[in-house]
Amino acid sequence: MDLRNFVFRRLIQVAVIFFIIQTSLFLLFRLAPGDPVERMVDPTMTPEDAQRLVEVLGLDQPLWTQYWVYLKNFFLGEFGTSFHYGQPVVEIIWEKLPNTILLFTTSTILAALAGIALGKIAAWRKGTRTDTVLTIGSLVTHTVFLPWLALLLIWVFGYRLGWFPINGMISADVWLDPSAGFCTKAADVGYHLVLPLATLFLVSFGSSLLVMRSSMLDTLKEDYILTARAKGLTDKAVRNHHAARNAALPVVTGVGLSLAFSINGGALTETVFTWPGIGRELVFAVSHSDYPLAQAAFLLIAIVVLLSNVVVDILYAYLDPRIRY
Amino acid sequence: MPFIKHAFPLKTASPLLMAALVVFLLTGPVAGISRVQAADHIKIGLLEEPKTLNYWLGSDTWSKKVLDLIYYPLYIHEPEKLELTPWLAESAPVFDEETLSYTVKLREAKWSDGTPFTAEDVAFTVNSIKGFKDSRRYDRWRFVKEVEVVDDRTVRFHLERPMAVFLKRSLTTRIIQKKQWLPIVEEAGKTDNPLAALRNHQIREPVGTGPFVLKEWKRGAYVFMETNEHFFGKGLEIAGRKLGPYIDGIIFRVFGTSDAAIMAINKGDIDMFWWRIQPGYIEELEGEAKIKLYTSERSALYYLGFNVRKAPFDNPAFRRAVSYLIDRNFLMLRVLQGYGTMMTSIVPPGNICWHCPDVPEYADKVLLRGERIRKAYEILKEAGFSWNTPPVNEKGELVKAKGFRLPDGSPMQDFYILTPPADYDPARSMAGIMIQEWLREVGLPASARPMAFGSLLDQVKGRHDFDMFVLGYGSLSLDPDYLRMFFHSENDKSGGWNMSGYSNPRYDELADESARTMDQDERRKLIYEMQRIIMQDVPYIPLYNPHLIEAVRTDRFEGWVPMLEGIGNTWSFCTLKPK
Repeated sequence: MDLRNFVFRRLIQVAVIFFIIQTSLFLLFRLAPGDPVERMVDPTMTPEDAQRLVEVLGLDQPLWTQYWVYLKNFFLGEFGTSFHYGQPVVEIIWEKLPNTILLFTTSTILAALAGIALGKIAAWRKGTRTDTVLTIGSLVTHTVFLPWLALLLIWVFGYRLGWFPINGMISADVWLDPSAGFCTKAADVGYHLVLPLATLFLVSFGSSLLVMRSSMLDTLKEDYILTARAKGLTDKAVRNHHAARNAALPVVTGVGLSLAFSINGGALTETVFTWPGIGRELVFAVSHSDYPLAQAAFLLIAIVVLLSNVVVDILYAYLDPRIRY
Repeated sequence: MPFIKHAFPLKTASPLLMAALVVFLLTGPVAGISRVQAADHIKIGLLEEPKTLNYWLGSDTWSKKVLDLIYYPLYIHEPEKLELTPWLAESAPVFDEETLSYTVKLREAKWSDGTPFTAEDVAFTVNSIKGFKDSRRYDRWRFVKEVEVVDDRTVRFHLERPMAVFLKRSLTTRIIQKKQWLPIVEEAGKTDNPLAALRNHQIREPVGTGPFVLKEWKRGAYVFMETNEHFFGKGLEIAGRKLGPYIDGIIFRVFGTSDAAIMAINKGDIDMFWWRIQPGYIEELEGEAKIKLYTSERSALYYLGFNVRKAPFDNPAFRRAVSYLIDRNFLMLRVLQGYGTMMTSIVPPGNICWHCPDVPEYADKVLLRGERIRKAYEILKEAGFSWNTPPVNEKGELVKAKGFRLPDGSPMQDFYILTPPADYDPARSMAGIMIQEWLREVGLPASARPMAFGSLLDQVKGRHDFDMFVLGYGSLSLDPDYLRMFFHSENDKSGGWNMSGYSNPRYDELADESARTMDQDERRKLIYEMQRIIMQDVPYIPLYNPHLIEAVRTDRFEGWVPMLEGIGNTWSFCTLKPK
């Protein structure tokens, strides 16, 4: 089977999975308790007026019709209008997505870099105190409960010491100051980024470190490491150029996939820090039965995750001709 | 393997990482120093972001907080007696009984874009509400036949029939600008779903008549409002208050969690947190020297309802006995930790204009548990209910009651008190459990059953398939017309507001009359009588009304005006002064 055939088959599989996800999403939201209209009704509204609201939102149609409209709109690139914002869903997502990407991509990359750098050292000094401290330290930060860590950091650095803002992404004072230029505003975002970034970094660098450490230990047993040493290369050269580059591969693959997942934002992190990203929006949309917004956000996540899986698979198949699923 | 060779330039990565961290750490303090302290902009913390600033769509708490500072009605409530006070109107409306019309003279006011506010704007607002059948406002206007523009500053409303709610509900509708909305309304009218098109229109710069005007809305971060230079009220005295605004503007900041907002107010990042403070935080805030807590009554009602369509809940004696068993004082102290008011009638006591002070009482604070049980026992016994083992034995001692029987001798089936789940509202869920225990003391086989809010409403309001329930309204309108909605027999239908199924011809008559009585004092008598009847028949047992506790800082601004529903009102924002 040639590569083209493989790619084709893989894409068909993804399309089927996607259709299943799409349908389950539609059903899940409608089966969940809670009625989107009920939250908008107040005691002065007559049942007739409430019914009109239902019609305005298109919820009076039978489920089949709603489902058909939903599928049709998806293929036309129409995600509908959010019940609550009254704004096209796509606009809302585009508005929030960059904020989420900024926070989560930065933290994922920083955590991976730190994980690789420290994992390398831990493996190189296996059994020493450095190794023990790094391994145990990363296990601790990796398993700590994220909201608790976030609140702790906010309380210490935001409230007690007052070094960093408690929450949000920008401060009104800076952005409303007409003399503030691009650099000041960028610095303001950077300033707000510190605590959420630190939280995510602490929680996620541990896994990269541990993967890197074990991969590095395997690599160090390889013959070519022995050869490198025999050639009389320095320890540093052997460690960084010969061992670490090969050992980092699994970590890089992992990071690739977790970048895909990062677009859903961390509902928890974003909520605790009031970071205006997709994660918070998703929580809001689900809790307020804002069907169009919640569906679109979940579909976006599904698409990105499915596609990045395909890309990784294809990349592997390309790199290693032996791989055909 | 070329791929691997260039995959990861580790050597260059580490310095980059360090550089990035250094930049963050350095820029932080710089950004901090360059903060401009805009002296007289008050900073207010919100829990959530406004969803929209579209007049037709913004019905959530947060959008309304901002919208209500932009759009204003002809009349608003003054803070002390909650009487209607002319706002965009110049004087009280003049009623002509013969033509059944109200004539309102308008003030000389301007929109925030500098154009004059006229009778055309009023007529346009009403006609749009009626034309689009706007679900939130249509009910207030459906009985208005015509809005006549007499001249630029005089508008006359022709009513189809006398309607008491016209004054307090219709005339308090917020007015929008014809100039801004006419093209949008025309455009929406051409679509298949006009109301949806109107609600989904994106409005960037709402033009209003209020004291503030939207300057910038940075989604996810803040809403900045500046003083409206065309505000008609500047320097005017209304309801005994000389209006400003004396502040330069308002910056609303979004916090997402109460924890963050409370830290921010402690730190001085915000001057006010415009949301109710949960009892858990009160102690912490009370200790702060620069923070003041305001406690306000709410126009809220939390109650226990019966399904009076079925036995034995159709028996007023049974319901009265239950009323005696419920220790509302205890609920207030334990469920609300004392931060609330005990409810004696359907209309909350804070609504002093309409609350009836002399209704039948079941909740005398001093009644001991035993006295309540004895009282309930007497009432039930007299009404023909019986027990295998009554709660009070022959010697007059309290014993564990068993085998409660209906007047026809059949044993009472198990029944359920439906409540929202604890994660939705711990107070209501807890109240349900306490009521269950109190009812069991006299042998009533009650069980509290928390259930998802949507299903609960479906069962109670949609299908009428229930025995008892605990529900509530966080904000009832100030006009007591809801008394008619809740208990008029014509509203006893699926989805209707008479969820209990209460039906009383005498009450219907009073309710209808109250709806058409235009004289406020006359109407008050009727509304009082309706409250007495309801508390006599108790289809609903009002339970409690939580207080609204709000926190402000005292170091930069002063002059908050306490009022029903809290200090975040027009009167506060128009009279607050920088220190």
